[in-house]
Amino acid sequence: MSTAVPLMPAPTAVMRARRHSRNKMAVLAALPLIVFLLLFFIGPIASFLREAFYADDQLSLANFQHLVNTPIYRIVLVNTLTIAAAVTVACVVISYPLAYLMATVGPRVAQILFFAVLLPFWSSALVRTTAWIALLGKNGPLNALLTTVGVVDEPIAFLYNFTGVMIGMTHVLMPFVVLPLYAAFRGMDGALTQAAQSLGARSLSIFRHVVLPLTSPGVVAGAIIVFMNAVGYYITPSLMGGPAQRMVAELISDNITKELNWGLAAALASVLLLAVILSLWLFNRLFGLDKLISGTSDKGSTAVSAQRTPGGRLSVVAGICAAVFLILPIIVVVPMSFGTSEFPIFPPPEYGLRWYTNFLEDSKWVNALWSSLKVGLIVTVFATVLGTTAALGVEKMSSRRKTWLDAFFIVPMSVPAILTGVALFYLTAPWGAVSNSVAVVIGHTVLAAPYVYITIRAALRSLDTNLELAALGLGASWPTMFRLVMLPALLPSLIGGAVFAFVTSFDDVVMALFLTTVRNRTLPKLMYEGIAHDFDPTVISASCILIAATALILLGRLAFGNKKVSTK
Amino acid sequence: MNIAINACSPDSRQYLGQNVVLSGIHKAYGPTVALPNVSLNVERGQFCTLLGASGSGKTTLLKIIAGFEKPDAGTVKIAGRDVTHTPIADRNIGMVFQNYALFPHMSVFDNVSFPLRMRKVGSDEIKKRVNETLDLVSMTKLATRLPRELSGGQQQRAALARALVFTPDILLMDEPLGALDKNLRQTIQLQLKKLHHDLGLTIVFVTHDQEEAMHLSDHIVILDRGTIIQQGLPEDLYRKPSSEFVAGFLGECNFVSGGDRKTLGVRPDKVRLATHLAESDIRYEGRILMSTFSGLHWKVFIEYQDKTIVAYAPGDLSEAARTPGAALSWGFRRQDAMEFAAA
Repeated sequence: MSTAVPLMPAPTAVMRARRHSRNKMAVLAALPLIVFLLLFFIGPIASFLREAFYADDQLSLANFQHLVNTPIYRIVLVNTLTIAAAVTVACVVISYPLAYLMATVGPRVAQILFFAVLLPFWSSALVRTTAWIALLGKNGPLNALLTTVGVVDEPIAFLYNFTGVMIGMTHVLMPFVVLPLYAAFRGMDGALTQAAQSLGARSLSIFRHVVLPLTSPGVVAGAIIVFMNAVGYYITPSLMGGPAQRMVAELISDNITKELNWGLAAALASVLLLAVILSLWLFNRLFGLDKLISGTSDKGSTAVSAQRTPGGRLSVVAGICAAVFLILPIIVVVPMSFGTSEFPIFPPPEYGLRWYTNFLEDSKWVNALWSSLKVGLIVTVFATVLGTTAALGVEKMSSRRKTWLDAFFIVPMSVPAILTGVALFYLTAPWGAVSNSVAVVIGHTVLAAPYVYITIRAALRSLDTNLELAALGLGASWPTMFRLVMLPALLPSLIGGAVFAFVTSFDDVVMALFLTTVRNRTLPKLMYEGIAHDFDPTVISASCILIAATALILLGRLAFGNKKVSTK
Repeated sequence: MNIAINACSPDSRQYLGQNVVLSGIHKAYGPTVALPNVSLNVERGQFCTLLGASGSGKTTLLKIIAGFEKPDAGTVKIAGRDVTHTPIADRNIGMVFQNYALFPHMSVFDNVSFPLRMRKVGSDEIKKRVNETLDLVSMTKLATRLPRELSGGQQQRAALARALVFTPDILLMDEPLGALDKNLRQTIQLQLKKLHHDLGLTIVFVTHDQEEAMHLSDHIVILDRGTIIQQGLPEDLYRKPSSEFVAGFLGECNFVSGGDRKTLGVRPDKVRLATHLAESDIRYEGRILMSTFSGLHWKVFIEYQDKTIVAYAPGDLSEAARTPGAALSWGFRRQDAMEFAAA
């Protein structure tokens, strides 16, 4: 438009002026989230990491030297990378058959499988870890089954070792690969595998020459996200691993809470941050960060009703096993919560509401639940407002600015929660913000606002800008246009973003560990304490309450999503 | 683009293709019966088109020949060999898909060499055969391109090369020209026809486009609701349709009541107007709705009872016989009418 010959100078000037004011509005809209993140994300992390470069109030690299020279730190760093890499590989391998299955079954079965993937995905890592601990324990149902059937004589130690960490973390992180991989399978023309078959290719060749090259972008994207998450993982390795599986996040936490060595903690955090930034950089190089925003693009390929190849049938079996792996702990934990014994047993010899009663009658559980709800609702409001205005603003900016701000807004959800949590603790503890829940609200908003931002940005992208122009051209003022045209179109995403924000806050443990006290702790924090110290079965009933809530939200969303589709 | 191959004289024709025999094919999806009981012979070197509306079962039939679907009953024989239970990869069938299904991550060369690589052919031999086949469809210069860098017509030719390079027993084509614009379609139809003739391919072609079917085929099979209604040479089907359905489906046709539970069908080019009518002709009185000039003839739309009758009249048609709103006598010779039992 700017290159057009200015035959009529007046309109061009008007247009330029209008564009100028539009840009100003856009910057103004994006500003709150920018300022918020500078103050409560970039600022705290920078000042926390500064500690790494100081020893005895002097600028020095002593902390890093200490990291390199102490075997235990070296071992933990190597451990962290090894475990993260192993988990990434496991996620990819197990996701393939499942994603294939999801993409090739009928819509009804696909929906059930989606539920099996999304229910664990949406329920907190803590709930899932609880379920696994209950399921895999020495006296747990799996060992009981194995010894009764006679597969093994002695119970297998699944927990507090490498196996435990692998099972727990793979379970938690697998959906990050399954979902993009599913999208890749769906985006693949179904006729391609038919074509390969007709040209003489067998299962393995089809996989190697057609499926693998065409799905690898989705897999690599998912794998990077898994790796990025895995290096900073805290809860699962600390609860399901043994001393030999200590990861860097746990070490950071120990240095702060037990050793009170902030310098060393900051040095470890720098290493962790470096790993995450490298992963993000790699992702950006390979795919562009905007891929994180566009989400799953479901082209909806022609559902090909063809005979499966032998390899396809084998994959179906493996896919079903993967789905069972995802949903099993959640299914098993429900009957266990209705047991009455001091230890979780499956199946319970006697059913009762003992642990639910305990949950409702013990004031610490009720208080924690209340505190979680309160924090969650406040965070939802803040995150939704900040994220939505920022998305509306960025949408109007030049593409260069868009790229930068997209990256800036995405970073907080990529940085491990432990880093943000510790940094905020470092910043806000002196103000007394930890004991009055202000700190945890800030922390959760840092985590949740990017989700809202991404959801709304994706929705705005798919919104036809001509609608906006048409409404304005028909004489609507901008606020009227927003109310009558944009808002109704954005509403599903707005609700989705808000729900996501709430769940993010409600599920978080890591930040709550640092940013709340005994008096205002959230439910996940109390559950964590319930597992970490001595196993309190109330945790299982609490988990089931959370699972039920998640399942309801999910079913609501699925139903809502269906309605959206059917009205199209 | 010309396809230069050694043209064989009709008597010395060598057939690359084999014959296909389907007998008693039954296929149901749950309670819906797609194909109740279909038997079909496709001769060696025949260009056989399965013609029908969507849902007529033509694509299901093609998939059963290819092996993408298993029939619930019946057998599929290719070159006398029962392949009903043979995996697709072992059937040696070339298939051109509706949207070509070229592998998007492979160059044209790699796409075309794929079936040879699957058959563990040596690399020198692969090079030779791929280049020969690409030459056949004039794609040699585009061998290093990726599918997305090709036009629709070029993709079509690459897909054809890939389906031919391993000398398949039969070539199956599932509405392969559907995505092309009309001019390109006609060019490719000609090339395909020539390729078919010169190589002696057996082709089973699926389409819903009756004009395309007429242009291409030696043998047309008309399907409706999973059943073969009529099959034969294109001109036989056009001139002697066995039913009102076939007459209406293959080319334009006007229907009038013939009395005595009979329907008369007449093609537009056999309709005579006004002064062209002879004494002995069957006559009707109608009213002109509209008339258009197509170069070859006038196309006159006549309102008769509740129907619209279409007539192709010679270019010298008088103005009175093509003025909208005017009354017009029309009719046809008794021997030009096709007689059907009324539905």
